[in-house]
Amino acid sequence: MDIQIFPHRILSADTTELVLNKIEALDDVHRTVINGPRLPPEDLDLPPQYREKRTINVQGKEIDLKVQTGRIFVEISQESTIDEVKNICQDAFPFGFEINIGKFMRTQKTVTDHMKYGDEKIPDEYIGMTDQSAKLSDRLTILKKDGN
Amino acid sequence: MAQYYPGTSQVAQNRRNFSDPDYELEKLREISDEGVVKILGHRAPGEEYKSVHPPLDEMDEPEDYIREIVTPIDGAKAGDRVRYIQFVDSMYFAPAQPFLRSRSYLNRFRGVDAGTLSGRQIVEARERDLERISKELLETEYFDPARTGIRGKSVHGHSLRLDENGVMFDMLRRQLYNKETGKVEAVKDQIGKVLDEPVVLGEPLDEETLKAKTTIYRVDGEAYKDDKDAVEILHRIHVARSEGGFCPE
Repeated sequence: MDIQIFPHRILSADTTELVLNKIEALDDVHRTVINGPRLPPEDLDLPPQYREKRTINVQGKEIDLKVQTGRIFVEISQESTIDEVKNICQDAFPFGFEINIGKFMRTQKTVTDHMKYGDEKIPDEYIGMTDQSAKLSDRLTILKKDGN
Repeated sequence: MAQYYPGTSQVAQNRRNFSDPDYELEKLREISDEGVVKILGHRAPGEEYKSVHPPLDEMDEPEDYIREIVTPIDGAKAGDRVRYIQFVDSMYFAPAQPFLRSRSYLNRFRGVDAGTLSGRQIVEARERDLERISKELLETEYFDPARTGIRGKSVHGHSLRLDENGVMFDMLRRQLYNKETGKVEAVKDQIGKVLDEPVVLGEPLDEETLKAKTTIYRVDGEAYKDDKDAVEILHRIHVARSEGGFCPE
């Protein structure tokens, strides 16, 4: 089961970092995708007081933030996790948010995936994590839970 | 007494305030003349005004009653070029919005040509008059540094979600929030040319002030349907238009 967190504002890097850390700390969370308008590469040339693009630290892993967070998709298996996520969001988003339940990430290979990866064996969890035109290595960060 | 807008809500009252030329709008910030010229981007600060015709005093004008009755505005007298300023107002409780802007500009300023679109509003005037008008528009309630954009082009963003700090989306990122000072600064002019020095536009207004000053009806603010008076007048206009007929045979 997937959930979509839809904050009523586009999130800054600080809030994204805070929320992702809390969500990733939940045991039931399998996969998380952040989606939103892209942060231009030129952002790094701006003086620090205006800059939005930076590296965030999620559960000890450095992640280059490429987008401003507009939506967060989370794959979970138990409904009780939704309440936990809701609590996290209530603390982090004073401006309001929505949580929708549905299916937001692909679980099957598409024709494009077949063309892109061929017969290569790729783990099921990687499917549907990025758009077709992006390189997996550019967009995907693997966080190992329980130190495994 | 002129009747500018119907309705009993605060939004209706704000619309009346903007439209009434006798109502003095609150001045919220100070922006230097040089800053305004920089943001407009039509001439360099200190540069002479370019002209498209000689001053009116030096011209042989044909005899005309209207020319005698109407006093020309300063820019027309000097023969200035016609230039523009264009604003984008966020749907999230921006103080002004395009139709209201046009309505109020035509009531408040002489010699302007206002153009209204759904998400943006342009006003044209002779250059020196435009600079005077722009200063007034930027310093008073018409403008909020976060929810209003000064955008000559690439205007997209008025209906998009705001950034967390309340700033409206702008693909050219002309107005940026300064995390150190808490103020919004214009780092580019209205068409996106980078400025040597940013122009400080001031602190964004807080949510309560914006909700009190806005001229936009919203269900999460004041809903239009709750303003019975305004709705009644709208119905009356609708019926009168329908009964009057678009093209009676």
